[in-house]
Amino acid sequence: MKQEVSTSRIRVGLLGQPNTGKSTLFNALTGSNQHVGNWPGKTVEKKEGKFQHQGKHYALLDLPGTYSLSANSEEELITRNSITSDALDIILVLIDASQMERSMFLLAEMVGMRCPVVVLLNMMDTAEMMGRRVDVDHLSLLLGVPVLPFVASRKKGLDALLELLDREEYASYQLRENALREQYESSFGQLFTDVEKRMLPLETESCSALWLSAKLLERDRAQLEGIRKSLSAQDWSDLQTLVDLPEDGLLSSADAKFNWLHSIAGKVTLSKGKKRGELNRFDRVAISPTWGKWIALGIVGLGVMLSFKIGYFFMGLVGSAWGWSMGQAYGFMATLHATPFVTGFVCDALITSLFYSIMMAAFVLGMLLVFNFIEEVGYLARVSYVFDVLMQKIGLQGKAIMPFLLCFGCTIAGVAGTRVLDSAKQRFLTIALSWVIPCSAVWGVISLMSSTFFGKNAVWVILLLFVVALFHLLLTATILSRLLNSGEEHIGLIMELPPYRLPHWRNFLRNIWLRASGIFAKASKVIVAVTVIFWTLSYTPDGNISSSLLYKAGMVVEPYSMLFGLNWELFIAVLISAIGKESALGVITTLFARHAAMGNVYNAAFLGSGIASGNIAANLLAGISVPQALAFMFAFFFNVPCFMTVATTYGELHRIKWTVGLVLYYFIFSLLMAGVVYRIALLFF
Amino acid sequence: MDINYYSQDISLAQGESGKKYTVMALKGDKRFVSRITSVGLTIGAVLIVLQNVRQLPLLIYSRDTKLAIDRGEANNILVETNLE
Repeated sequence: MKQEVSTSRIRVGLLGQPNTGKSTLFNALTGSNQHVGNWPGKTVEKKEGKFQHQGKHYALLDLPGTYSLSANSEEELITRNSITSDALDIILVLIDASQMERSMFLLAEMVGMRCPVVVLLNMMDTAEMMGRRVDVDHLSLLLGVPVLPFVASRKKGLDALLELLDREEYASYQLRENALREQYESSFGQLFTDVEKRMLPLETESCSALWLSAKLLERDRAQLEGIRKSLSAQDWSDLQTLVDLPEDGLLSSADAKFNWLHSIAGKVTLSKGKKRGELNRFDRVAISPTWGKWIALGIVGLGVMLSFKIGYFFMGLVGSAWGWSMGQAYGFMATLHATPFVTGFVCDALITSLFYSIMMAAFVLGMLLVFNFIEEVGYLARVSYVFDVLMQKIGLQGKAIMPFLLCFGCTIAGVAGTRVLDSAKQRFLTIALSWVIPCSAVWGVISLMSSTFFGKNAVWVILLLFVVALFHLLLTATILSRLLNSGEEHIGLIMELPPYRLPHWRNFLRNIWLRASGIFAKASKVIVAVTVIFWTLSYTPDGNISSSLLYKAGMVVEPYSMLFGLNWELFIAVLISAIGKESALGVITTLFARHAAMGNVYNAAFLGSGIASGNIAANLLAGISVPQALAFMFAFFFNVPCFMTVATTYGELHRIKWTVGLVLYYFIFSLLMAGVVYRIALLFF
Repeated sequence: MDINYYSQDISLAQGESGKKYTVMALKGDKRFVSRITSVGLTIGAVLIVLQNVRQLPLLIYSRDTKLAIDRGEANNILVETNLE
């Protein structure tokens, strides 16, 4: 029972198949009042939000986008349980008006689940463009629930929906059972009536006998168990005999459902409009075996470059603001006569890390603009199609190629880009594998170091790195698929290619803004924490590196790090590369130039002490041997990506344990690689 | 619903581009059948093959939807040529 408290919220569920505009509607209703986490104990994402209307408070739950409500996947079970448990007061089901018959399948699955339903007939604009017209009132009559025409991307229909929610006449919004029952009886014969009679005593507030019977005859795993427990052994065995009669209950049931939907569609479609079975000219090449992959690589590649250009532009803006703020902050600290430590802590650590987080989000904004557009327009599904076979070899779906390509430029963008993947498991796999891919900063450092040490032979070292990277990718893919795919058999691609649609710009920009701020919110916590810790460790009151905690820690660690071929300076540099890969060189400069004034490693890493290649060469060559250089390069290359990537990863996975697990895996592997390479190199150099 | 199993039924993976077919039978495990029927491919459903090449998933059009189907899975869908 709902509490009679003024702050009680009406709990609304949002249901719909993929590509029906569910997230557009979710964002339109909740704006920034949303929170993404995980369903407790599951890998499925839980998206909730709040909104208000006329003084009433609503809680909105975005149910996973699935095609059916079977017991075959976590997503479907979670959705089903949310509907049957007392979790929701009303459910809004989104239907694609331009593909009405098929997209109503979820409704067929829901008949008999007694939660109140309102149907939102979305994408009316697309249907209209195709010449399809639907008699909405007749549809409502046939279904027994309100049907509201909608164009979620333009917020059309939203007012009518809010008004309807306001009225709170939910109890009467029940999907009609009779017409569907007739179909079930037609498919199963007398058997269905018999089974339904036996299910009558088991009816609950949430499930009718019709629904239970259908699930039984479909041999639904979850329901079979539940029903077995509620019956006596004899009754259950009698029931089982009946249920075993049909040759394939699942097929007959699906048949009945689609016959029901087909008859409804026939009665309410006023004009069918043109057929959509042909591929338009672009699609014909986009999916072709000869051109498809090249076009995809081209478009995604261009997208990567464009997104970085935009990203750097935004970053530049933030950077200027940062510069100005630092000036103001230093001045302010001076007026307070603050100690160097406090000044440093506030300005160099706190303010810097805050701006770093904003800059990162600004950079990701560029990627979001480009790739969200590619996704919403519908092209990403084509990319998935042409790359499916290839990506399946490492257990990923086709469109994972996109975040992978992004990672070559910047892993932060790549990780943020995994949002487009279909399931939490796919996202985790893709992120985990993408950490192998070297970003542009890594290339910069590696090429500089290898040419310094190996001159003309640098190319062999880089080739070696590549080969080992490929091996690492395959090894990690194998380990992960063993871990994650335990038991369940993998179903091959069954994917819809949605029609091309132009997203509405206002919605589009707003969604992107929400995503960027979401990433910022989650990642900034990690960034600020790590930065402050690092700053404290590097702090040196007298400008000498030997006075910092980092140095002291380095001294303690050196005997151990030498096992892997890394003296303490290189080890610290490897660790610091966690801050930002490009900072490694700056850090090395500092560490090796012991007589230099800038003894603060943090400053070298963060505050722009860049790559002075002349100095580096001399310092490096003097300080390290070839085996050590190789060890460093391998450790650096395979190490955990920069900590902002880790922060973004945490933002996407929502789970500390997984993020820490990945960090440990990559860190250990990089040390092992360094050690192996060092030992082998000692034999030759 | 009685559709007889004719020997001229082929698997969808052998379908020809541009031709129309009717789904006659669905093999494979429960998860596959549940998934494939939920996107509209039931017994008796009519479809057109849009593209069938060895290196890519199958592309078909059925119930107003363009669907990409893994070739392995397509072997589990038996179809008959539809002459309408």
